[in-house]
Amino acid sequence: MLALAEPPAQAALAPVRVDVRGLSKSFALHGRRIDAVEDVSFTVRQGEFVSLLGPSGSGKSTVLNMIATLLAPTGGSILIDGKAVVPGRTTPQVGYVYQKDTLFPWRTVADNIGYGLELAGLSKAERHERVARAVARVGLTGFEAAYPASLSGGMRQRASLMRTLVREPEILLMDEPFGALDTHTKLDMHDVLLKIWEREKQTVLFVTHDLGEALTLSDRIILFSARPGRIKDCFEVPFPRPRDGVAMRETPEYAALFSRIWHALGEEFKKARKS
Amino acid sequence: MSRPLSTLAWQVAIVAVLLALWQWAWSLKPYAPWAVPDLFDPYFVSRPSEIFEQFLRLSCLQPKPGELAMPGGTAFSACTARYENNLWFATFVTLRNTFFGFLTGVTSGVVLGLLLGRSPRLAEIASPFVTAVNSIPRIALAPIIILAFGIGDASKIATSWIVVVFLVFFNTFEGARSVDPDYVNASRLLGASEWQITRTVIIPSTMAWVFASLTPAVSFALIGVIVGEFIGAEFGIGRLIIESEARGEAAGMMVAVFVLMIVGIALSAGIQRMQSYLLRWQPRHQGR
Repeated sequence: MLALAEPPAQAALAPVRVDVRGLSKSFALHGRRIDAVEDVSFTVRQGEFVSLLGPSGSGKSTVLNMIATLLAPTGGSILIDGKAVVPGRTTPQVGYVYQKDTLFPWRTVADNIGYGLELAGLSKAERHERVARAVARVGLTGFEAAYPASLSGGMRQRASLMRTLVREPEILLMDEPFGALDTHTKLDMHDVLLKIWEREKQTVLFVTHDLGEALTLSDRIILFSARPGRIKDCFEVPFPRPRDGVAMRETPEYAALFSRIWHALGEEFKKARKS
Repeated sequence: MSRPLSTLAWQVAIVAVLLALWQWAWSLKPYAPWAVPDLFDPYFVSRPSEIFEQFLRLSCLQPKPGELAMPGGTAFSACTARYENNLWFATFVTLRNTFFGFLTGVTSGVVLGLLLGRSPRLAEIASPFVTAVNSIPRIALAPIIILAFGIGDASKIATSWIVVVFLVFFNTFEGARSVDPDYVNASRLLGASEWQITRTVIIPSTMAWVFASLTPAVSFALIGVIVGEFIGAEFGIGRLIIESEARGEAAGMMVAVFVLMIVGIALSAGIQRMQSYLLRWQPRHQGR
C-alpha cells in the first residue's frame, strides 16, 4: 500500500514537499468514537498534482485539514519540507482553497485578493500591481470594485483562488474547490487552474469526489476507502500536458482509466451508503 | 394618480382629520357629551392652536404676545440668550447629553461585547453578573445616578449610558460569537496574526450586528437623558416637560413631545444613512 502511494519514477528525483506518515484521526461524537482517518501515508513531490479521491465521509478532507494545521491529528505525523507541522500554526509556504465561499463579504474583489499581501505588509503600490495582474489572469477585470455578494459562484471562486495564489504559495491545498459549481463553470475553472499550474508548477494536493475532475487535473490519484478513511489504491494519470480538460475526455485512454478507477470507487460509494 | 401620490393624499387627510378633531372636538362636548371622549379635554392634551402659540413663545419666535421676532433680530437674540424657557437651549442640552450617552454607551458596549464574545473563559466568568445586572430595569437606577452625579450633565450622560451599553453589548457579543469560523481560518491560512484576525475579520463581521443595535440604541440614549431630566435637571426637554406639568400647562408638554419626536426621527434617519454606507457590501444595501 505504501509503495503505491509513492510518486512515479520520473518525479522521484524531485524533493518531497509533503510527507504524511501513519496519519490517523478519531472524533468523539455523542460519546462514541468515530475513526475518520486510519493509518494514511503518502508523499507529494515538488511540482506534483495529486488528488485525494473518495466518497464523502472517507476522511480525505480531514487529511487535508490536518496538513493545513486546521485540525490536530490523533496519530502519525505530517512533514512539510522536512519539518513537522504544528496544529494551529500555519505553514507560510502553504496556500489553502476552500470549497465554501470564504471571500470576505465586506471587502471588494480587489481587497479580497490583496488581503494576504496586506497582512504581509506589502506597500500599496506593490499590492495594487500584483492584484491587477491576478485579476486579469482569471478574467475578473472590471469587477475589482464589486462586492462578493454581487458576483456569480464561478466569479467568486476565481477571486477566492487568486486570493490564495497571489501570495505565491509553493504548496497548494484545495478542498473540493469547485464542488459547489455547476458543470460548465467547473470545466471552465479546470482550464483556469491548469493554465496557472502548468506555468507555475505548484505542488498541489486536491481533494475531490469527482473522478472526471481528478483525471483532468492530476498526475496521480490516491483513492480513499469509505469510513474509516484509508488509502485503498493509487493510480498514475499519464496523460500528456498541457491538457485540454474537454478534449482529453474523448480519448480511449481516458475512458479506460476512468472505468478502472470507477469500479474501485464504486465499491467505496456502496460501502459509504451502507454505513 | 400614481400609487405613492394617493398614499400621500391619504396620509395628509388623516393628519388633517386628527388635527381638526383635536382642535374642535371638545367645543362640541356641551352639545353631544356622549360623542366626545374625555381624551380631547384640552386640560390634558391642549389644542393644536395653543400648542403652536406655546411653540412660538418657547422658541423665541414670539417672545411677547402679538410680537413676532425674526431669527437674527435683537428680540430673538435677547430671548435665546436666556437659559430658562428656551426651547433651543433645552433641545441643545438634551441632544448633547444624548450624543455623549450614545457615544460612551456604544463604545463601551462594543469593546465589552468583542472582549467577552471572543473569550469563552471571560464570558463564562462574567455570565452571572451580566444576567444579574441586565435583570435590573435600568431606569430604576436613574435616581441613584442623579444622587451620585448631581443634577448636571454627568448624571444624564450616565443614565443614557447605562441604558445603551447593555443593548449594544448583547448585540456585539452575539455578533462576535457568531463570526463564521471559516472566515477566521481562511484569514489565518492567509497568514494573519491573532490581532490581524481581530482587526480584519472579527470586527468587520461583527459590525453588521452592532449596526442592528444602533437605531434602538439612539432611541434608548434619548430615553435615558429624558428620564434623567425628569428626576432632576436644570435644563433640557425633559425638564421643560416637568415644569409645564407643574404649572398645568399641557401645551408646553406637547411642544416638548413634538420636539422629541422630530429629534427622534432625525437621529434614526442619520443612523440609517450611516448604516447603509458602512454596510454597503450587504446585498440589501446595494444599489442605493
